[in-house]
Amino acid sequence: MAQSLVTEAAAPIAAPRRPTRIRAFWQPFVESRMGPIGLGILILVALAAIFAPVISPEGPFALGGPRLAAPGTDGHILGTDHLGRDILAQIVYGARVSLTIGLVAASISLVVGVLIGSIAGYCGGWVDILLSRLTDMFLIIPAFFLIIVVVATLGSGIGYVMVVIGLTAWPTSARLMRAQALSLRERTFVQALRALGESGPRILVRHIIPNGIQPLIANASLDIAAAILIEAGLSFIGLGDPNKATWGRMIFDGRTTITTAWWASVLPGVAIIVTVLGFYLVGDGISYVLNPRSRRVRG
Amino acid sequence: MGRYISRQLTSIIPTILLSIVINFFLLRAAPGDPARVMAGRDNPTEEQIAAIRAELGLDQPLPVQFWRYVQELAQGNLGQSIAFKQPVFDLIMERMPATLLLTLTSAVIALTVGTLLGAIAAQRAGGPLDSTLSFGNYALFAIPSFWLGLVMIVIFSSKLGWLPTAGMRNVRADYTGWRDTLDVIQHMILPVATLALVQIPIYFRITRASVLQQQREDYVTTFRATGMPQPRVFRRYALRNALLPTVTVFGLGLGFVFTGAALVEIVFAWPGIGRLTLDAVFRRDYPLLLGVYLVLAIAVSIAVLLTDIVYALLDPRIRLR
Amino acid sequence: MSQHYPLIDLQNLSISYSTPRGMVSAVDDVSLQIPHGASIGLVGESGSGKSTIALALMRLLPPNARVTGRMLFDGTDLTLQTETQLNRGWRWRRLSMVFQKSLSALSPVHRVGAQMHDVLALHEPGLREAQREARIREVLEAVHLPDRVLRSYPFELSGGMMQRTMIALGLLCNPPFVIFDEATTALDVITQAQILKEIERLKDEFDLTTMVISHDVGVINAVTDIVAVLYAGQVMEVAPRERFFSMPAHPYSRALISSVPRLDGQQGRITGIPGSLPDLTNPPSGCRFAPRCPHATPECMERTPRLIEIEPGHLVRCTEFAMKDKTDR
Repeated sequence: MAQSLVTEAAAPIAAPRRPTRIRAFWQPFVESRMGPIGLGILILVALAAIFAPVISPEGPFALGGPRLAAPGTDGHILGTDHLGRDILAQIVYGARVSLTIGLVAASISLVVGVLIGSIAGYCGGWVDILLSRLTDMFLIIPAFFLIIVVVATLGSGIGYVMVVIGLTAWPTSARLMRAQALSLRERTFVQALRALGESGPRILVRHIIPNGIQPLIANASLDIAAAILIEAGLSFIGLGDPNKATWGRMIFDGRTTITTAWWASVLPGVAIIVTVLGFYLVGDGISYVLNPRSRRVRG
Repeated sequence: MGRYISRQLTSIIPTILLSIVINFFLLRAAPGDPARVMAGRDNPTEEQIAAIRAELGLDQPLPVQFWRYVQELAQGNLGQSIAFKQPVFDLIMERMPATLLLTLTSAVIALTVGTLLGAIAAQRAGGPLDSTLSFGNYALFAIPSFWLGLVMIVIFSSKLGWLPTAGMRNVRADYTGWRDTLDVIQHMILPVATLALVQIPIYFRITRASVLQQQREDYVTTFRATGMPQPRVFRRYALRNALLPTVTVFGLGLGFVFTGAALVEIVFAWPGIGRLTLDAVFRRDYPLLLGVYLVLAIAVSIAVLLTDIVYALLDPRIRLR
Repeated sequence: MSQHYPLIDLQNLSISYSTPRGMVSAVDDVSLQIPHGASIGLVGESGSGKSTIALALMRLLPPNARVTGRMLFDGTDLTLQTETQLNRGWRWRRLSMVFQKSLSALSPVHRVGAQMHDVLALHEPGLREAQREARIREVLEAVHLPDRVLRSYPFELSGGMMQRTMIALGLLCNPPFVIFDEATTALDVITQAQILKEIERLKDEFDLTTMVISHDVGVINAVTDIVAVLYAGQVMEVAPRERFFSMPAHPYSRALISSVPRLDGQQGRITGIPGSLPDLTNPPSGCRFAPRCPHATPECMERTPRLIEIEPGHLVRCTEFAMKDKTDR
């Protein structure tokens, strides 16, 4: 019976099969159980958004249908709102808006957070103190209210909304990145690079950030979820983009007739919940992959 | 301890200053003439606009304007509300108690329930109960507060008729004394339940993670080796250690609940700051809006400071250094 | 008072862990006896199984551990005891463990005294508070700690004081058997020497039978009577201390001893031990040390040598001696 002895002395003739990067990620991801469920949800949402014109060719703003029709009447699977517009159409088109807002806002938050956090962690000293204070400040500030104030003052176009959400969500990413930068700074390979004369910014961009960014990816998923919820809240108080069909605005439109036509407000809320849940679960799955210690040992 | 508090203050005070600065610049950054913007939408006359311009000192250099603004703030003058024709400060203070009633009650309930469930889930980590609770927790966290409020109204108020739909009191009846209290409580149930439910996930998550962390600590092994049964180790030692991060989170959680409270107040027509905000937004009543924002920023900062102090009192490693 | 049988008798103890990657064999067929009053040292590198054996004795292994064999304590098999029986009758009263001091070896937010009171009250509920206080002060005095330690929080104590506190805690219920698991590893050399001297003294003062676990042969030399060398979960050599250090039989033992620099002027070469532990999910069939052994033969790789007694009290697991044993017959 041949045995494979793991030795340093004997040079292996054929290198043992190392798991590919994708498999190294995918297997624990599936193990987390929540991750794949979330991914499935998001794929469905994305498909709905992409195929919106196919699912609802008439578009979300098509008037002329019966007003406040219950789900199932007249070919409107999910009913209609107070202006006679099809609910299903608004939901699938709304998916486009929500996903866009979430992704853009989270991207802005990620970029700002990575920059601030990595600079703070790597440079240390008064730069770190200054940036950390700034981060703390933005953490304490009631973000939603700040967003309300800004949007009410400057304008409620969707661009503004995305940018403002991104600019208030970065502190968590910054904290994570700072912690990563702090520990990476002490690693031998970084110190070697410095000894060799590599400039700070180059080390930051080519080594610190790529190596430290992993936990921020999990957090990005949560940021997307938060952005979607914030936008919904903004639309609900009338600050959303009036030209877009967003789930939040649907809830806003339907609130006065909630007792007679519940579907106009409740169904878009379900869409929000499912989508946000999808992002949470994916984020949970990613952190499970990145955190070997948290893995459950089957007894 | 003293050093710890002063360190916390150096975080809080700049935050408040930052909010003040943001307030100050936001108005002036708006497109168009700030004075005209401040004058509101109800067709202000040129004299009104000129008056506002003088009051804001918009023809003065910026630093002078800012100094004037800060001075006004120090005197508690947040300006005059355009829509309500009353001092902003008075308006806010009038509505504050109603909001505090909702936020504090729901925060305490959420803290209790969330912590309890989180500890239970952590003790059965990896098992079916934990998976169910964790999944349910994510689902709960995904629910928009205002949507939940609407659903509550549909179910409990409209369909079942158990509880009132809106408002803080039954305005037709004129209750006094304990009947009034009972009336308020009855009106409180749905909004508080809504707010509590959306906050529970925060405390569940932090407590579960914290308890799991404590279970891996060395002292747990030490006590188990001494023959102490696991439940006793948890009750007497792990729990106290595990609850510390929850205290910290509570401060930030209060910031979160002020946000949720505003939206829920709107849904339930609760006469608090949330409603005020909505009105301010609709009517572009900038003095009021900026005033509300500033007061909230200060309130949250104070809440964070207080919870940090409580944390320092509970953790001897901070208290005694 | 002489005993007929050893205080601790491990018989064919095997421990493996069930992991997603398969069963990991941590301890393989270990048999050891500890006579009353003796002090045995378990030495080996990280992953050799020494701490696993200690935790097994205390029945503190994680739920995914599979234990076979017997662990006799004064004649009673501990593997058959229930948790309740262990908590009431064995843990801390008959056998205790002194852990390596760490930031959280005790609860960081409770005072040291309160925690010691709690442990004592657990096992001797009949004592009144004043009596408990007296007993606690006794053990503190035994380890040369001042009373103010009781009012302190763990973070307020120095490394040495914390380790002494852990020793005092271990002696609190007067157990006949104490395990010291890497109890000096986290300390600086000076404090380490002090603590080792304390342990020597306490052994006599409290009439203890002890098991000292360390990766440092110097520590083993200081406080033990019998030395047992562990490698990859197997016992490689057992010998009385003097014999072990003067005539180590196993190549691994020799490597361990020579990896410590000598201060007595003889400047030899410090040899490390190249290579690393074998993969314990798939242990090799031959001698587990063979891949790293400078004297390995093909026979070593094929067949696991048995533990042979080459002198009274001196056992070795090495093909070299197994062959000699055969040829001698």
